Amino acid sequence: MRRKTRAAAALGLVAACAVAGLGSLLLGGGDRDGDGQAAARRAVLPAPPRLALDVPTPKGLGNARHVAVWTSVLRPATARAHPQSSARRRARLSRRTPEGTANVVLVTGRESDARGRVWVRVRLPVLPNGTTGWVPRRTLGAYQAVRTHLVVDRRRLTATLLRDGRRIFRAGVGIGRARWPTPRGRFYIRNRLTRYRSATYGPLAFGTSARSATLTDWPAGGFVGIHGTDQPGLLPGRVSHGCIRMRNADILRLDRLVTVGTPVTIR
Amino acid sequence: MDFLLDDLDIDGALREAGEHAGISRATFLGGTVAGAVAAFAIAPPAEAARNPDIAVLNFALVLEYLQSSFYTEAERSKAVRGKAEDAAKRLGSVERAHVTAFKDLLGKKAIKRPAFNFRGTTEAERPFLKTAVALEDLAVAAYKGQAPRLRDKTVLAAAVAIHSVEARHAAWMRFLFGVQPAVNAFDDAVSKPEVRRVVGATRFVVARPRTSSRRRPRFTG
Repeated sequence: MRRKTRAAAALGLVAACAVAGLGSLLLGGGDRDGDGQAAARRAVLPAPPRLALDVPTPKGLGNARHVAVWTSVLRPATARAHPQSSARRRARLSRRTPEGTANVVLVTGRESDARGRVWVRVRLPVLPNGTTGWVPRRTLGAYQAVRTHLVVDRRRLTATLLRDGRRIFRAGVGIGRARWPTPRGRFYIRNRLTRYRSATYGPLAFGTSARSATLTDWPAGGFVGIHGTDQPGLLPGRVSHGCIRMRNADILRLDRLVTVGTPVTIR
Repeated sequence: MDFLLDDLDIDGALREAGEHAGISRATFLGGTVAGAVAAFAIAPPAEAARNPDIAVLNFALVLEYLQSSFYTEAERSKAVRGKAEDAAKRLGSVERAHVTAFKDLLGKKAIKRPAFNFRGTTEAERPFLKTAVALEDLAVAAYKGQAPRLRDKTVLAAAVAIHSVEARHAAWMRFLFGVQPAVNAFDDAVSKPEVRRVVGATRFVVARPRTSSRRRPRFTG
């Protein structure tokens, strides 16, 4: 018992010395030059420099409900009914549109097949309107995100642009006559044409993925555009072959707010 | 010590992406990549001569664009789940904060965000983790390579502050991928040309598609 007490006392002494020594080292008390010089050296240690930039608080992506993703076709591809090479063929996708721009598609889903290859479901610019298909990821380009959404109301004859779900633009429009109706459904803006020579289409035209179901023999496939006009007095009204017409000032204003890839809902 | 891509490219994730895009292993490991990454050609020579820090900061900004776009796309794809998804969300938010900070600091001298095609690596878990490890290791090595070139101490302090964060990211992604987070006593730096070559070889940085034209419309009218 006495031996144990002595051992404990010795251990305590060693520990106390160790703590004192460490404290002395950390505080500079053990410096041979003396306390005064050590304190002086401590005093001249510079403070860390301030940062040149302020890193803001990291934030999440937020509500993804209003984000749409589009991409372009990098190499000709077959769109299929399911994410499998053997699935039924829905459409053939080329790299270019009839206007010579990149062929853009809206992404609506993705899946990996049994061999680990990624397939992407895209909205197709084909008839019947609303068709989707699966294409191999490797045939597509970079993904781009948009937060805008254009809604065309055929009853009220209006076009409304939403950003993050909030209205930022509204204008009266002309739509197709009864025998050439503007198709209803979910589409997207495919390209942007400008500086062409045609007063009929006004100063600017957006191509969409929507196609006329009645004018199937129209040049270049009968795609529905959103464009200006040389007859603004007809707007709003049911006056076109299926295209969505706007006053020239309105289409130019829309151009500043919208980008290719923006989803378009015609209802 | 020579930097080798294989040192950085855990399990060949970047090389796989490059090979997927039709780039040979020989080209990837040793050759030059035609049409190198324009985004890394950063500040004009006159500007860089006046203030070399601008070129380094823009170089860092491109790497932050690359990382933030990668994690953002992975989160949006919803193809990455569980712990990898949690990491993608967290790291994405941090990399986006880095981008904001660099853009604020550089103001009008900040280069614009390039377009990125991650070629499916954000859309399946294993390729995502492999590529994340490679990108984080690349960022850590790149910051280390550029930090000694910085003249302004406050910029250097900022770079060091971000460098340690990137190192944590690298360790986290290595852990999730199942490789050793800490292997060496000392890490090598990577030069700017080497980073440019590695990133260029992946073909992750791409030109934006041409979506405008002057052709006369032929829509239904």
